[in-house]
Amino acid sequence: MDEERFEELAAMNALGMLENDEKRALDGAIARDKDVRSLTLELEQVTAELAYLIKPVEPPANMKKRIRSKMRAKGVKGAGISRGVIIGGSGWALAAGFALASVWLWQDRAGMTRQLADASRAMAPVNNPATPVVDDGKTRTLEEELKKRRDEFESQKRALQAEIESLRKQETDAKAQTVKLIAEVAALKQQEQESQLQIATLQSKVWEYRRSEMLVVWDQKRSQGVVVLDKMPKVQSDQDYQLWVVDPNKPDPVSAGVVTVDSKGSVKASFKPVEAVSGEAKFALSIEKKGGVPKSEGQLLMVGP
Amino acid sequence: MSQPEFSEEELLQRAGRGDARSFDQLYDRLAPRLFGLLCRMLHDEREAEDVLQDGFVLLWERAATFDAERSKAFTWAVMLFRHKAIDRMRMLGRRNRLVDSAVLEQTTLAGPAYSGVDDEVQAHERSLVVHAALNELPKEQRQLIEFAFLKGLTHHVIAESLGIPLGTVKTNIRRGLLRLRDLLKGGA
Repeated sequence: MDEERFEELAAMNALGMLENDEKRALDGAIARDKDVRSLTLELEQVTAELAYLIKPVEPPANMKKRIRSKMRAKGVKGAGISRGVIIGGSGWALAAGFALASVWLWQDRAGMTRQLADASRAMAPVNNPATPVVDDGKTRTLEEELKKRRDEFESQKRALQAEIESLRKQETDAKAQTVKLIAEVAALKQQEQESQLQIATLQSKVWEYRRSEMLVVWDQKRSQGVVVLDKMPKVQSDQDYQLWVVDPNKPDPVSAGVVTVDSKGSVKASFKPVEAVSGEAKFALSIEKKGGVPKSEGQLLMVGP
Repeated sequence: MSQPEFSEEELLQRAGRGDARSFDQLYDRLAPRLFGLLCRMLHDEREAEDVLQDGFVLLWERAATFDAERSKAFTWAVMLFRHKAIDRMRMLGRRNRLVDSAVLEQTTLAGPAYSGVDDEVQAHERSLVVHAALNELPKEQRQLIEFAFLKGLTHHVIAESLGIPLGTVKTNIRRGLLRLRDLLKGGA
């Protein structure tokens, strides 16, 4: 394929004009040739700039709420609350977060109830049902229009009722979780009095690990901890995940041993670094050769807090 | 506690790290422009609302992949929302539908739009540059690019609808976009 043909495909791709087979041909060329990749991206950017010429239109006022609702319905992570929260010594921040979430759920439910009431009011009968109305160029009687609207409102009402039920359930769950967390925090506070406990959640910026989660509970006084991993992809048979503790007073991370996850990508394990860690510790996870290595050679997947 | 004023790029990066407040602010800044685009593309406010809703859910999910060195937050978002809109057109069967050739004359991008809001000054300045660059193109190239940008049709449908040879459509699109790229880079 010559240069002109690539330019043609990249230009049409930028405008979304390609047919499926042409799109596949361009995707293949993009994978093979960095010049094609760069040109394709460049023309996509140029095309997107045309949107600066579009007159802004204010979206409906309830759109933010609709987006949040859709996120919840899809189970999108972090919808409405920040993710990657680092829990400090006592874990009170997490408990406070859940308390706020409960208040927010309650407010959201109140809003839904108001919408339901509005929908019911809008269903009130209208006089003179035989008057014809015009919609999309078609003439239909007001009666037909009312029936259509009533059906729409009924459907909306059912959807809202289902959502209210779902919110009630979420509220109950959140309350139960808050109670559980408060108990956990109390237990942690007790433990904290005896040790220097640090709890950190880590998330990866590596695409394949975007859903993976890592929680580290680190007892600095005893220089030992517990790591919990979840949703980790499988590693190859000649590889292992390896945990590292980063000591600010040491040039290299200190190995805390290999971590083997189960078939669901989960594990909970205790660890103790091979050398004592004196400073404020950070933690990292990498993929290394089977059995682990004394000094990290592989890709760092998660680092934090 | 009030949040400091961040650029759109910073807000998108913060949203990528899970900052819901930054996502909220980014919505306030981008939504009217993106909704305007979707209304123009879909010609149906309800469809545009659905795509706006789905688009922002997707934006939240993909924000972590945004690279500020490669694109502006707005253009990155436009690419994402246009793809969603084109998918919607495909679903509705509009992408392969012939259109009246008279529509070409009517399908033009507006001149620079400015609502007077302070944080839109940069967008307004950029719109002036884009408008000037677009006007530098020969009429047949400009019209085809504007038409393709707003209609989301395949080149075959555009050629057939407008009664223009397929080769001419492809050539005009290619030349026009390459020239536009050079002009936006500040070239002659």
